[in-house]
Amino acid sequence: MSTTALLRSELLKLRSLPSTYLVIVTAVCVGLGVGVLEMVSTSHHWLQLDPQERAAFDPVADSFSGFEFAELAFGAFGVLAITTEYATGTMSATLVATPVRMKVYAAKVAALMLVVVPICVASTFATFILGQRAIAARHLDVALADPHVLRAVVGAALYMVVVTLVGFGLGAVIRHTAGALTVMFALVFLAWPVARAVESVTYLPDRWLLVNAADALVSIRPATGPNASRTPSLAMACLELATYVVVLLAAGAWRATRDL
Amino acid sequence: MIQVQHLSRRFGSIAALDDLTFEVEPGVVTGFLGPNGAGKSTAMRTMVGLTTATSGRVLIEGRRYRELSEPLRVVGAVLDGSGFHPARTAHSHLRYLAAANRIPKERVHEVLGLTGLDGVARRRVGRFSLGMKQRLAIAAALLGDPQVLILDEPNNGLDPEGIIWLRGLLTALATEGRTVLVSSHLIREVEISAGHLVVIGRGRVLADAPVEDLIPPDGTTLEEVYLQLTHGMADLDTRPPAAGLR
Repeated sequence: MSTTALLRSELLKLRSLPSTYLVIVTAVCVGLGVGVLEMVSTSHHWLQLDPQERAAFDPVADSFSGFEFAELAFGAFGVLAITTEYATGTMSATLVATPVRMKVYAAKVAALMLVVVPICVASTFATFILGQRAIAARHLDVALADPHVLRAVVGAALYMVVVTLVGFGLGAVIRHTAGALTVMFALVFLAWPVARAVESVTYLPDRWLLVNAADALVSIRPATGPNASRTPSLAMACLELATYVVVLLAAGAWRATRDL
Repeated sequence: MIQVQHLSRRFGSIAALDDLTFEVEPGVVTGFLGPNGAGKSTAMRTMVGLTTATSGRVLIEGRRYRELSEPLRVVGAVLDGSGFHPARTAHSHLRYLAAANRIPKERVHEVLGLTGLDGVARRRVGRFSLGMKQRLAIAAALLGDPQVLILDEPNNGLDPEGIIWLRGLLTALATEGRTVLVSSHLIREVEISAGHLVVIGRGRVLADAPVEDLIPPDGTTLEEVYLQLTHGMADLDTRPPAAGLR
């Protein structure tokens, strides 16, 4: 069984669905648009902000404020990339053509990455550049060469890729669109009150939240106040994201080799 | 040639296939009959590796399905539970299947023509009628010009013209020396097109013989023979859960 043929087949599948284009265009437009508009309005209101608010301003992280929408879209895209195959029976058609299930699964991950990674990287850099331009008049902008900035921009792109893979892994395990979307949404966006609830005992769950790992990755200002205890170190954040991806993709791989 | 050897498949405590053994020879259409829940669909899904056998094996042209490097070039299948994304066009459905087995693009147009779908090739499958979807499933089965065809109720949804067309197609494929296994509940249809019959019930072979050997000379019809063979065998509980309902 040719690996390139299999990868070509999976890419053809993604490219032949209108929803692929719809999700990606929406994600990029909203992610970029909201972030840049926030930069424009921050610049506009800068003189009215009190010193605390000014100190909390992060020219990189704040320009990615629209990325929660983009993350939701990419997470959903990851889920749908596999659950629709089970729902519509295209998985059966695919497995009859390529019966080695693990290879099919690997090809799906690879095709998804080939589509998602370039878009995430391009849209993050575009958002960063346009966002900085919007605050340049107040000299609030930073350059990619400044300390931590490149890391933060790449981190934003990486996090969207991670959310896509989390969605895909959950989709592979659950095989059901509504169920997988719900779990993805809960895990990525809604888990934080659970961690807050146990803060009197430990901050460990906080530090393992995907959103807090994202904060560590994307911020160029150190977290302050209670957030300092909630946010993992940069190295820890990378390790956590890798753990989420590896565990979920491995669980998905195991499930994908089971009968339909 | 398809060789089903001591094939068993259990779903929990239920034996969907129970030591099933038979061979499907090339050169003749083989009808695959049995009541609801007899195990026909499970047997056919096991032949193409979608369902894993609890024990036993199936050999297709002497090899296990998972050993075939480009299986669509050897086996064409129309299966229960296999489907199409409604937003994809007929053409793009066939294109990704062809790409997976390095089947040239031109063949996609050929099978669309062969199944009378060339006029709707660029239309989304979601807007297809049941009969058009069935034609697309048959087109997908023919994609790799396979030596072996495994067709689970391919008549479903076809109009009378389509049924006659399919009958002619299957007979022609068998005459060319291919192996053709067709399940159906339409006994009359099977009687017309099939030369050999395999009847199963509760996952076991009840009859495996040429059609003319099964019909006694006293005027008993094939339908009556079938009902005698499968009497008391209908057992809806043995059906595997349908895809998408879990």
